[in-house]
Amino acid sequence: MIGSRSRIAWRGAEFRLLLPILLLVPFGFLITNVALSGAPEVGDLTLAVGYVALFAGAHLLLVAFGHRGDQLILPAVGAMGGIGMIMLNRLPQDLAGTSAFGLELGMAGTQLLWFGVGILAMLAIAVGLRDDGILRHYKYSWAAVGIALLAATLVFGYEVNGARLWIDLGPVSVQPGELLKIVLVIFIAGYLAETRTLLTSASVRIGFLSIPPLPYFLPMLALFGVVMLIVVRLNDLGTALLFFGIFLTMLFVATGRRSHVLIGLVLFVAGSFVAYRLFGHVQSRVDIWLDPFADPLGAGFQPVRALYALGRGGIFGEGLGQGLVTLGGNLTIPYVHTDFIFTAVAEELGLLGAFPLLGFAMVLVFRGLRIAALARDDFGALLAVGVTTSLGLQTLIIIGGNTKLIPLTGITLPFVSYGGSSVLASFIMIGLLLAVSHRSGTADRAPGS
Amino acid sequence: MIATNVRRLGVYLMLAFAIVSGSITWWQVVEAQNLSTRSDNPEVIAARRSLLRGTIFDAEGQVLATSALIDGLSRRTYTDPAMTHVIGYSSLRFGSTGLERTFEDILVGQTDPNPIRDLVSDVLARQPEPRDLTLTIDRRLQDFAAEQLGSDAGAVVALDPRTGAVLAMVSTPTFDATPISGDPDGAQEPMDALRNNPAEPLLARARQGLYVPGSIMKVFTAAAALDAGVIDPDTTFPDQPREESEGFVVDGFTIREHDLGGIEPDLWPLSEALQVSSNVFFAHVGLELGAEGFLDYARRFGFCDSIRIGSPERGLQVAPSLVSGSLDGDCGPFGGEVDLASASFGQGQVVVTPVQMALLAAAIAGDGVMLEPYVVRDVRAHAQGDVPTDEVLDTFGSGGGTRVVSAEAAAQTRAAMVDAVNGELGRRYAGQGDVTLYGISNERSAGKTGTAELGGEQAPHSWFIGFAPAQADATSRIAVAVLVESGGSGSDGAAPIAGRVMAEWLRLSGGE
Amino acid sequence: MTGEILRVLLLGLQLGFVALLYLVLMRFARSLLRDLRSAEEAQMSSRSGIGRLSVLESPADEPPNGTTIALGPINSIGRNVNNTIFVEDDFVSANHAMLTFRGRSWFVEDQGSTNGTYVNGHRIDRPVALSFGDELSIGRVRMRLDR
Repeated sequence: MIGSRSRIAWRGAEFRLLLPILLLVPFGFLITNVALSGAPEVGDLTLAVGYVALFAGAHLLLVAFGHRGDQLILPAVGAMGGIGMIMLNRLPQDLAGTSAFGLELGMAGTQLLWFGVGILAMLAIAVGLRDDGILRHYKYSWAAVGIALLAATLVFGYEVNGARLWIDLGPVSVQPGELLKIVLVIFIAGYLAETRTLLTSASVRIGFLSIPPLPYFLPMLALFGVVMLIVVRLNDLGTALLFFGIFLTMLFVATGRRSHVLIGLVLFVAGSFVAYRLFGHVQSRVDIWLDPFADPLGAGFQPVRALYALGRGGIFGEGLGQGLVTLGGNLTIPYVHTDFIFTAVAEELGLLGAFPLLGFAMVLVFRGLRIAALARDDFGALLAVGVTTSLGLQTLIIIGGNTKLIPLTGITLPFVSYGGSSVLASFIMIGLLLAVSHRSGTADRAPGS
Repeated sequence: MIATNVRRLGVYLMLAFAIVSGSITWWQVVEAQNLSTRSDNPEVIAARRSLLRGTIFDAEGQVLATSALIDGLSRRTYTDPAMTHVIGYSSLRFGSTGLERTFEDILVGQTDPNPIRDLVSDVLARQPEPRDLTLTIDRRLQDFAAEQLGSDAGAVVALDPRTGAVLAMVSTPTFDATPISGDPDGAQEPMDALRNNPAEPLLARARQGLYVPGSIMKVFTAAAALDAGVIDPDTTFPDQPREESEGFVVDGFTIREHDLGGIEPDLWPLSEALQVSSNVFFAHVGLELGAEGFLDYARRFGFCDSIRIGSPERGLQVAPSLVSGSLDGDCGPFGGEVDLASASFGQGQVVVTPVQMALLAAAIAGDGVMLEPYVVRDVRAHAQGDVPTDEVLDTFGSGGGTRVVSAEAAAQTRAAMVDAVNGELGRRYAGQGDVTLYGISNERSAGKTGTAELGGEQAPHSWFIGFAPAQADATSRIAVAVLVESGGSGSDGAAPIAGRVMAEWLRLSGGE
Repeated sequence: MTGEILRVLLLGLQLGFVALLYLVLMRFARSLLRDLRSAEEAQMSSRSGIGRLSVLESPADEPPNGTTIALGPINSIGRNVNNTIFVEDDFVSANHAMLTFRGRSWFVEDQGSTNGTYVNGHRIDRPVALSFGDELSIGRVRMRLDR
């Protein structure tokens, strides 16, 4: 095995990029501490130091294992997560938290704990998954796992904010949708890698549209049905939009046919229209989006408050720790730590700070695409595309929702929003990206070439 | 091949990121100012709870509105209910109206009139410092005008024709805004009472009330026709004397003269026709001018569009006055000749605001130049006590003037209006508007009465527009429009009020 | 006045923070550009090939385990030494299979071998299109098509 020949690989670029980022986090903690206490004191930096230690550790372990994967991804994640940690530490800590395993943790502490779990998962996948056979050969098993997750959510799930997304597992609640996303990507990548050539060569042409050959396509259509099932049963529009986006993007990359994507889009628009007509919650979401100011204290409460927060931020921002997070003891935006974390960042750091956050997400996305383009095999390429698209679309959908570009949906901003399932799933996806890029990274150095 | 598709995907995603960046920029830069000043913004209302607002002074430095912190809440006190429809209210519960709304950001100090200082404060996140406003309105004249209206519903608008400054702008009935602006919990009850009051005290009649003008519209018709050259001061219409009694048939409809009160019809030129307020004469004039000419001049005078007292960004809004059927707030085409003829003497589809008619009077008084009106004179640093500070941060004036008719046409109209008040025939109609009756011996006024017939049993609205001093070679210092709802004929209701208000102002500003 | 001082201090800190953010962003940009250049160079030199076979399992070590074989457009595989790809294995026929690059895709065709040609574990009976990452089994030799 190639992996057995691993030796130490100095990841210099990663080191140089991580250094200022790891400086940034304690610095941000310091600013918020000063702003919140109103006194020029350093305050408690424990969590910031913990965060720095996690990423430093991850870097050192990758070096030690001789990992030759991409070196920009981990720093990009570190930067996004760092901004997120600073904001979460600054928000009221009783918004969320854990009191399990004898630990009493506030929101930021819990998030840090999940970062730890996520980084471990990422390292395990990045280092351990040097042969992707287990992923590609058992894709139908993975599909079954996904369906099981979905079924479990339908049966055991409970509702938060109108959407049934959560399963209670004793001390922690998990969102199976987050893990389902990964399973879905693996399945589609495996399926398309196998049937790609058939799908491209055997299209039926009707006029200028080329219809994909149906027999090869049926599993995909079944998937479409599953996605629509989620919309209907779980009231989860965001996840449906995300899944469909991932699916269409992977299909496009695999076949290069814009018409397939077009057909998919038409189906989606038709489906959305039907959903709009049939389901009240879809309709109200859209109506709120079209005119949130119609009912600023009722249905449009959060979107309107979010827009006001963006306006308050302006170009320069209100300053870290100086945003109007609470008003008379109540949060100005109730879901500020999850759905509206971007708005909180944009309020306190302004447009000047919002752009770098978007920039880090773009680095992540374009490195992911680069990994896909350089991948040695089709499965790896499609896996990387799926994972990257998932992270990128999540960012676009939630920021678009925050800024009233598209209807608001309950999706997390990867690595920034609070949420264990989301953090874990995002780190697993980074692990997959690192694994794929490691394989193409070693190819150039393989003996005999 | 996959690599090619991935590159294409990259381009699409890049595009999507660009769009999202644009969306963020839109809210944080382009819309930021609008969002932060929306008065329904709960944060704005909440922040206002403890924010002091600047003091508002009248032209002579008298306090009209002050703020104080009581139990941590910013409370607004208004000293003069007659000013309510100009200043508006600033309520912790209902948002703000009037100048309190249009000057919100300056009053609470969120915007510095000086753009550089504003940027510095923004960057330093300085606590806003309230700023004071000085109005062009003289409280003495405002109160005097309100007293004259008494318990009647109506409006008085007085302008300085030389500057465009608003000297008084009264709408009655009015109300005390202090209870609405005080304790947010206690504000609901007085507000409900105001909303349910059938006399509609919440309506700022001077700016928002639309009324049929009646004969005061003839001033417009005369000025427009003189400027267009379709008549001169000596033009007569041969059929007019006969039609005074028999009626003037237009398009099959008969236009009848109002009760001339025993005056024998004669072949009247402009001056006499305005003195007796001949509907037949002005119907002829309007038809000579033609529908297009009429609408063209109406637009020049500011009809057919909403106007603002102040700048377009920071002005009190005035409802659009219309001369023909409404078309999305603009004047539509005339329904026919008879509509045009009726509009020419102020009936038909014409509806106007008192502010618009005051502007018409001011334009005639100002030699045919119409100045954009303004009501806030300057912004000053916040005064601690009752005396305005000397630190003037920004001054305002008229946004500019437009020549609406030639100086010659204005002078001819003005002469006819002087006759309408002082002439042999006119005196019995508009004579009550003459300032000599109210203790001013050496000046004369010009004017025109209006009696807006509403049909049915309803008493007509009483109008007067005019200006003083108006004798030859004098420069007019005040132009007024007075409206008394259901006040009867113009000579009974509005003319004496206008005469007294003009005389009062000539007295008050006597030193000039 | 301490409030004023604190605000100026916070403003300074905030400016430093934002400056640091942009510094990080610049560093990312520099790394991205450097990688772009080296990727171009790499493409110029080594990635001009259309594909290669990685040898996963080869009982007789011919071709040697763990090596990669650069491929031309037409490759014949078999136990005969005249084949482009020479395979030493008792279960491989003399002229076993043909691996060709046509247009944009790789195809493999069995040449009437005794023990057959397998793609991802399935025996083929006609020319089959291959994707990168597919596994080719000829006799007991397993190879993977890579780019």
